[in-house]
Amino acid sequence: MSSAPGFRVPGLSVEELSWGHPLPGSGWRQLFSGFSLSCPPGQFLVVIGSNGSGKSTLLNLVAGTLRHGAGRIHLGGRPLHRLRDHQRARWIGRVMQNPLEGTCPGLTVAENLRLAERRNRPVLINGGFLIGAFGGIHPNSGDRRRYRELLGELGLPLADRLDEPVGQLSGGQRQTLSLVMATLGSPDLLLLDEHTAALDPRAEATVMALTDRLVRQLGTTALMVTHSLEQALSHGDRLVMLHEGGLIGDWNAAEREHLDPAALRAMYGAAIVAPQSSSATDGSSAS
Amino acid sequence: MFSLWIGAYDQGLAYAGLALGTYLTLRVLNFPDLTVDGSFALGGGTAAVMISQGAPVPVALGLAILFGCLAGMVTGLIHTRLGVNDLFAGILTTTGLYSITLRLMGRSNIPLSETPAGILALPDLGLGLDGQWAVGLTLATVGMILLISFLMATDFGLSLRALGNNPTMARANGINQRRGLTVGIAAANGLVALAGALVAIYQGFADVTMGIGSLILGLGMVIIGEAVLRPRSLPWALLAVAVGAILFRTMIAIALQLGLEPVDLKLATALLLLIALAFGRLRIPGLSAGQGRQEQ
Repeated sequence: MSSAPGFRVPGLSVEELSWGHPLPGSGWRQLFSGFSLSCPPGQFLVVIGSNGSGKSTLLNLVAGTLRHGAGRIHLGGRPLHRLRDHQRARWIGRVMQNPLEGTCPGLTVAENLRLAERRNRPVLINGGFLIGAFGGIHPNSGDRRRYRELLGELGLPLADRLDEPVGQLSGGQRQTLSLVMATLGSPDLLLLDEHTAALDPRAEATVMALTDRLVRQLGTTALMVTHSLEQALSHGDRLVMLHEGGLIGDWNAAEREHLDPAALRAMYGAAIVAPQSSSATDGSSAS
Repeated sequence: MFSLWIGAYDQGLAYAGLALGTYLTLRVLNFPDLTVDGSFALGGGTAAVMISQGAPVPVALGLAILFGCLAGMVTGLIHTRLGVNDLFAGILTTTGLYSITLRLMGRSNIPLSETPAGILALPDLGLGLDGQWAVGLTLATVGMILLISFLMATDFGLSLRALGNNPTMARANGINQRRGLTVGIAAANGLVALAGALVAIYQGFADVTMGIGSLILGLGMVIIGEAVLRPRSLPWALLAVAVGAILFRTMIAIALQLGLEPVDLKLATALLLLIALAFGRLRIPGLSAGQGRQEQ
């Protein structure tokens, strides 16, 4: 296993994080207590664990949609823990689990892309002339041309549907768009929260192939949470396993090659249903 | 008979700001804002006080818009900063605005005897004063629609639309939900207060109770406009809402002609909305069944 993290690095660094939540009725569940994890710049980190282990909570704490009790989160040296979620968004691209959550269904494909594109350049309402002060008219023809080129380069059929409301796209297309949006503006960190969980196998393969391509192309640090052992064993540079808010496994790519999928599954516990495909059993699958 | 139609047209356009403000909060921001009942009267009261004390009409209208914006901002801040439920935040502001408007006016009713000089300077289209009002109000409404359409086409407007459409996604893309909602609600109430001021000037008086039922009126106008024109883009939706305001006032004029008692008007309006809600033709955030809004 890799050495235990806990030191600050220029990539993502989570130090001494604490977070808990009230239980229904009465009581308190302390999920994270002094949790630490570091991720060097450009590393594609895959996080697995059983239900309730804290995978998605960890992503929410990093993104700022959940506020932690104690601890520090740094990204590229910036103290994220002092910022609200919309402020953190300047450096973080995020793909949600539900395709409906990651896009605005009432806005067009081009408008959604524009929102993501200006993520690291928030609109200023003060100063300048009216058009400049309000960010100018967008998406304009120049924006559309740029988006068409981008989607075309990625081989996505969305290039011809820029002016369609996103609500008319399929779940797979929405998630593809959400992924492209999350990577626009070259974010320092990409958070992928079980982003293929709601997709059929074909759409899942498409989205995972695009994920690998975009992460490599941008060289961005990425944190992917997944329930799929198939994905965990075939994607990313490093694999960690969470259990009850603690790190119980940490393997780099070389170490992961020697992992026994059966043992990995056993570590999950009974809450996880093993993938049905035989490829997951021998650990040599590719999505 | 023609004076009935031109009168309904004028009144509809005077109320267009109310319909546009309601559209902005309900349809764009997905925020059921009850502040409009208070800000409509506040706008009317402000304009009446200013004009009765000799202030130029543009100054009176500007101040009415400003006060309306402030009222909306208070609701936005109560909701976003204090975490108070959206409906309750509006009720709180509207309740407080009743006393503020009454304080501002000094009494419950202020009559305005003279028609503004600006209106009298416009061509009358051979229809006299009603025609001059029609020209003035048409220009004002077209101006409002163009301005809102422009703002909604900018990055700023796109941010507001995203906030109403999917706040989680909007925040994940760097949009400040607190600021966006507050600014949007303030702008919408500025439009509503402008409508209150125009209605007060048009009808020749302002009354502290003139805002009661404004949200329902605004909703009625939005529903009718959307049902008739079925708009597919935002500029068309704004135009549809203004047309809805005219049609709504026209329907009222027809109902009155057919013998409906003026005291029954609000009941008739409420029944119309109830039927629309019951048959699922109308989706109102926070009011319709099965509707929800994600909060941080």
